[in-house]
Amino acid sequence: MKLKEVDRTAMQAWSPAQNHPIYLATGTSAQQLDATFSTSASLEIFELDLSDPSLDMKSCATFSSSHRYHKLIWGPYKMDSKGDVSGVLIAGGENGNIILYDPSKIIAGDKDVVIAQNDKHTGPVRALDVNIFQTNLVASGANESEIYIWDLNNFATPMTPGAKTQPPEDISCIAWNRQVQHILASASPSGRATVWDLRKNEPIIKVSDHSNRMHCSGLAWHPDVATQMVLASEDDRLPVIQMWDLRFASSPLRVLENHARGILAIAWSMADPELLLSCGKDAKILCSNPNTGEVLYELPTNTQWCFDIQWCPRNPAVLSAASFDGRISVYSIMGGSTDGLRQKQVDKLSSSFGNLDPFGTGQPLPPLQIPQQTAQHSIVLPLKKPPKWIRRPVGASFSFGGKLVTFENVRMPSHQGAEQQQQQHHHVFISQVVTEKEFLSRSDQLQQAVQSQGFINYCQKKIDASQTEFEKNVWSFLKVNFEDDSRGKYLELLGYRKEDLGKKHVKEEKEESEFLPSSGGTFNISVSGDIDGLITQALLMGNFESAVDLCLHDNRMADAIILAIAGGQELLARTQKKYFAKSQSKITRLITAVVMKNWKEIVESCDLKNWREALAAVLTYAQPDEFSALCDLLGTRLENEGDSLLQTQACLCYICAGNVEKLVACWTKAQDGSHPLSLQDLIEKVVVLRKAVQLTQATDTSTVGVLLAAKMSQYANLLAAQGSIAAALAFLPDNTNQPNIMQLRDRLCRAQGEPMAEHESPKIPYEKQQLPKGRPGSVAGHHQMPRVQTQQYYPHGENPPPPGFLMHGNVNPNAANQLPTSPGHMHTQVPPYPQPQPFQPAQPYPFGTGGSAMYRPQQPVAPPTSNAYPNTPYISSASSYSGQSQLYAAQHQASSPTSSPATFPPPPSSGASFQHGGPGAPPSSSAYALPPGTTGTLPAASELPASQRTGPQNGWNDPPALNRVPKKKKMPENFMPPVPITSPIMNPLGDPQSQMLQQQPSVPVPLSSQSSFPQPHLPGGQPFHGIQQPLGQTGMPPSFSKPNIEGAPGAPIGNTFQHVQSLPTEKITKKPIPDEHLILKTTFEDLIQRCLSSATDPQTRRKLDDASKRLEFLYDKLREQTLSPTITSGLHNIARSIETRNYSEGLTMHTHIVSTSNFSETSAFMPVLKVVLTQANKLGV
Amino acid sequence: MREAVLTWCVPLELLCSHPLPVSAFLKTQVKLYTYRACAGKDEMGKMVSVINTVDTSHEDMIHDAQMDYYGTRLATCSSDRSVKIFDVRNGGQILIADLRGHEGPVWQVAWAHPMYGNILASCSYDRKVIIWREENGTWEKSHEHAGHDSSVNSVCWAPHDYGLILACGSSDGAISLLTYTGEGQWEVKKINNAHTIGCNAVSWAPAVVPGSLIDQPSGQKPNYIKKFASGGCDNLIKLWKEEEDGQWKEEQKLEAHSDWVRDVAWAPSIGLPTSTIASCSQDGRVFIWTCDDASGNTWSPKLLHKFNDVVWHVSWSITANILAVSGGDNKVTLWKESVDGQWVCISDVNKGQGSMSASVTEGQQNEQ
Repeated sequence: MKLKEVDRTAMQAWSPAQNHPIYLATGTSAQQLDATFSTSASLEIFELDLSDPSLDMKSCATFSSSHRYHKLIWGPYKMDSKGDVSGVLIAGGENGNIILYDPSKIIAGDKDVVIAQNDKHTGPVRALDVNIFQTNLVASGANESEIYIWDLNNFATPMTPGAKTQPPEDISCIAWNRQVQHILASASPSGRATVWDLRKNEPIIKVSDHSNRMHCSGLAWHPDVATQMVLASEDDRLPVIQMWDLRFASSPLRVLENHARGILAIAWSMADPELLLSCGKDAKILCSNPNTGEVLYELPTNTQWCFDIQWCPRNPAVLSAASFDGRISVYSIMGGSTDGLRQKQVDKLSSSFGNLDPFGTGQPLPPLQIPQQTAQHSIVLPLKKPPKWIRRPVGASFSFGGKLVTFENVRMPSHQGAEQQQQQHHHVFISQVVTEKEFLSRSDQLQQAVQSQGFINYCQKKIDASQTEFEKNVWSFLKVNFEDDSRGKYLELLGYRKEDLGKKHVKEEKEESEFLPSSGGTFNISVSGDIDGLITQALLMGNFESAVDLCLHDNRMADAIILAIAGGQELLARTQKKYFAKSQSKITRLITAVVMKNWKEIVESCDLKNWREALAAVLTYAQPDEFSALCDLLGTRLENEGDSLLQTQACLCYICAGNVEKLVACWTKAQDGSHPLSLQDLIEKVVVLRKAVQLTQATDTSTVGVLLAAKMSQYANLLAAQGSIAAALAFLPDNTNQPNIMQLRDRLCRAQGEPMAEHESPKIPYEKQQLPKGRPGSVAGHHQMPRVQTQQYYPHGENPPPPGFLMHGNVNPNAANQLPTSPGHMHTQVPPYPQPQPFQPAQPYPFGTGGSAMYRPQQPVAPPTSNAYPNTPYISSASSYSGQSQLYAAQHQASSPTSSPATFPPPPSSGASFQHGGPGAPPSSSAYALPPGTTGTLPAASELPASQRTGPQNGWNDPPALNRVPKKKKMPENFMPPVPITSPIMNPLGDPQSQMLQQQPSVPVPLSSQSSFPQPHLPGGQPFHGIQQPLGQTGMPPSFSKPNIEGAPGAPIGNTFQHVQSLPTEKITKKPIPDEHLILKTTFEDLIQRCLSSATDPQTRRKLDDASKRLEFLYDKLREQTLSPTITSGLHNIARSIETRNYSEGLTMHTHIVSTSNFSETSAFMPVLKVVLTQANKLGV
Repeated sequence: MREAVLTWCVPLELLCSHPLPVSAFLKTQVKLYTYRACAGKDEMGKMVSVINTVDTSHEDMIHDAQMDYYGTRLATCSSDRSVKIFDVRNGGQILIADLRGHEGPVWQVAWAHPMYGNILASCSYDRKVIIWREENGTWEKSHEHAGHDSSVNSVCWAPHDYGLILACGSSDGAISLLTYTGEGQWEVKKINNAHTIGCNAVSWAPAVVPGSLIDQPSGQKPNYIKKFASGGCDNLIKLWKEEEDGQWKEEQKLEAHSDWVRDVAWAPSIGLPTSTIASCSQDGRVFIWTCDDASGNTWSPKLLHKFNDVVWHVSWSITANILAVSGGDNKVTLWKESVDGQWVCISDVNKGQGSMSASVTEGQQNEQ
């Protein structure tokens, strides 16, 4: 393919390989004249700029010369690899002169560009070559058998390689050997070639085939093999290239007879010894393999002969050819289409003709015919054989698990035979790369500790090895978790030893006792008028209250308290209060808190510098149920309000609280988490703390918070990257369905080398797996498509089973399928939908342990009713969803006819319209109308026409995946226990859907933030609360998106389904609120009633009314027991503070809950609760 | 190590006693030297250890070897025109498939993400790209793309989030993008004249939503911007971006190399806002390009190292913190960025018998 062209009749020389950018020097050719018979000459330098797509060469410099040239070469003399010096341009002139030019000066536009000049030769200098080993050595050849060796460092006096050959003849070619630096060859038109050894200073061999027809026009040494060279013949009678091996110099090794007429020039590629260029009087430019004689390539040229041809030393695919029609063309031998160039070329040509009018006609030329151009520039194919320089000999690429795949090939010498290649072994090496040894060994230790449960030892080791006091503290705190009397030990760690205190106390007692006045003897009962007397009177009358008052008045605190004790609890309490009010001592507040059992007060208002003391107090006094929360609170304060030092101490509080998630957050904030070891630091603590929490609090700590999960998966990733796949699996949280974790788990399992049976199973052709046409790039973030893919991703048996089952080798899909509860459907149904990334769908079906663990809890599955029922909300919610549901429905419609019929049956029209239909869309009711009972047993759902399907089947085959998200969340709320409907708020079950429809329009929208979901009227709307809540959430983007990000929905669902399982019912009923939580309801309702009774302003009343309704969300959650223990305990705290009318405290606790809990879990009721508390505070009820 | 050197001596003597071309002699000596230098590095053996040596039985040079997503299967391709797939779990090697279909040397192979099935793409000097797929346990040609006029040098699958999209870079200077549109159909987009004389490498940017480190809410379609990098014989690295109309536009030209860009590798995303690209060149240089700004337009190069020979290939570890560099001197080095931002060589990869036996073979070949 032609890249560039220049209109010059000139000799050419590429800049040396070291030079960047690439230049092409041209010097006006001797023995040729242009049409003007001009004898002026010039030396020009062009830059080869391949980023410019046009055919123009960028001219860098022109130097008007007094010489015309027979030969031009560009040597790398004094050139370094950086290209600071651009070498030397050596020209052979007509009159026996050799001229050295400085190309950098030419480029700079300098006038004085000639370095040196010597005219020692007689006759034109046609042959020049630079020694590639010693670039200061240049050989030149001219008439009369003259050969000189020039030392550029000492240019004045050339050497000769030996005595002149006889008879005298012109030297047409000269070439240095490419392998042995002191060997030189020369050739003459007579056909003889002579090889000179400069060390011996004589010709060592003469090569001639005795045919007398060889007219040497070209001579080239083999780039790799020292003893081989080629000679080209200009004679039309013998247009051949002979390959000689000097070891067998009696006859040519090989003769290439590819040209029809005499060969004018040859060039042997230094980059690939199998490429030899030749151009001849048959107007061809050929590239052949001199080792085989095969023609590899014929350059597309015009009909002109080329008299000079050169490989570009730096860019091995580029060559230049100078032709007799006065043009130098630059070609690439890699072929390619010239489409991109064509138009530009046409433009250029047109405009140049338009300007020049070369024929002097005075008429502008017509525009060039583009079709001609098109015909000319058809596709140019590349070389038959790949050039050596594109054959990558070596490679290394990383793969999963810290593996490095490497291969290497030796550069094969060009002349080797195929047999040789076969003997070679072509190996690929798979290596394990381990860069973080310490990280791995520490991870190992941690794992051992976990397995052996030897946490105390582990912590002790960590304590011993701790570099900093803080680190030591943290580990000490962690260790305490595994010891008896953990609280006592915590106290010790904080510097409070019970024994110490005891000792001090004893000491003081002793001292005190010395001063005790002796008791006994008689005393006076004073009844005088002073205070003493009055007290006496009061006492005598049994009026403790007055007595105490009097004492207090007289500042006799001790007396007052002692009297109050005698006066009964109530008096004591009042007295204490008064005392505290009066007392100004530093420790009063502490005493206050101790006496009033108000630890929160301490934690909330202590000076943060005293966090140790506060923590100690909590450790000493707090009840088990509030202990965690208090530690937590203190930690939060430290973290939020403290300086950097205190912030880190918050970790200790979180350790006491057993709050893993916050520990992670706090630690991450303080540390630079990017280094593996710092992550290791964190993970060690977290793992130990989690174990501790499991042991001590016996709570379900299996729930993994978002942050922790992120850290753990980061950790697992690191382990995997170091090749510790098993360890990575062990540390990966196993009960989360966060997509990235599921993904990693799957990858790890497979990487471990699980049997390939599953994924080799050929089953589902990937066409089916592919996105249907018309949705290019639709992939990301769409649920539907990934879901389809899921099935293909893990193809199983011969028959495509219902997609949901595909993955579970351990769950018998068929058996499950026949169960009335159809567990299989449930787990297919649930997990995939909330996952936004296309790959996630795979996650629910991982191999091995992780997967099964995940869906196990979901097997007991909702009764059919629920499936049918939850659909209804979508009608009312259509407005909030409209954009999305449209989208999904549309997709579904687009895809369903084409894609994977087996797994993705065409949905009923009703289904489609149902998803995005507004309220009252008739088809929805048809879906709904199916008797719930029929759904109890599900036949293989995939075989059913979707139109016959009821709710549950939607679970996996319904296209609008988005619907599933809220539906899933709704499930728990909808599964109400079969308790008889007694509450007035229940509505009849007749037709909830229509009810819903009726209600919706009339529903007021009280809060702007909730505008997207209908606010039901209390009585009628009750059953819908469960439904509406998620809708409300979806109306609020954060709460909607959050669960999806975290994959949070998965966990709660598992739990709720377990509840539901035992309560098969077709009725929508409510469970009772558990007894222990009933107090919450009564307290809150009572408070609202109190507020209502004292509130006068209608706006407030409306707010309260609304709040009362919305608190139903909370009660529902309580019924379902879906709230986390921290939240419920927090709520209890609030209730307690309400009972004591300490609303501000309630508000603080409220803030705490909100700040520490999952927003989506609490968003439905916590804001309302705040409204109530605020009102109560304001109204002072 | 000692044994290795000893085994060396024998062929060396043999070589010396023969009337060898000087070149062969010189080369073997250099080999020996580098091999010793390798062996001298203390930590090397520990950091990188060969766990599996796969004899591919290829009859000619291997040009690429890639593991699948799970690291359990190895695909190799060779000048012998074949593509082979091995099961290499547990240190074994079981030939799963020997794929014939190319009519020239096969340069590169690329595994598609397993969510699309078991799919492998290969590209060859025969100007074709073949997409192979496993069906019913056997591998078969699934699609053949013959839209290039010259050698296809590089293939790379887009992040799976975008669907099944393959970028192919060819010596004809063009880059083509094949998008699977279902029903066995592939849609082709072509960027003509992307790199004059030829495109040597393509590498996709990871799927990261600009300006956000968190996944998008499920309801929204993530606003991915598809990008890839290419390197070519015009010494340039170019960054390409898909416009909203689906057309590919050159977004950026990265200039630093003074010779052919042999490979480009866009680093996997590790959640940081910085984008990183490694590039290597015929000029022996390896550059690390980074871009911190949100617009993605300011890329700054940092020279990792200047090698004495062509650098053929760069590959990022999955966690994007180690770069494997393979050079024409048959050496693989691993590089890591130190705390102060400098790139340091952490290991020469010791391939055991590999480099040695290979060198001997070369010597023997030279004897001919």
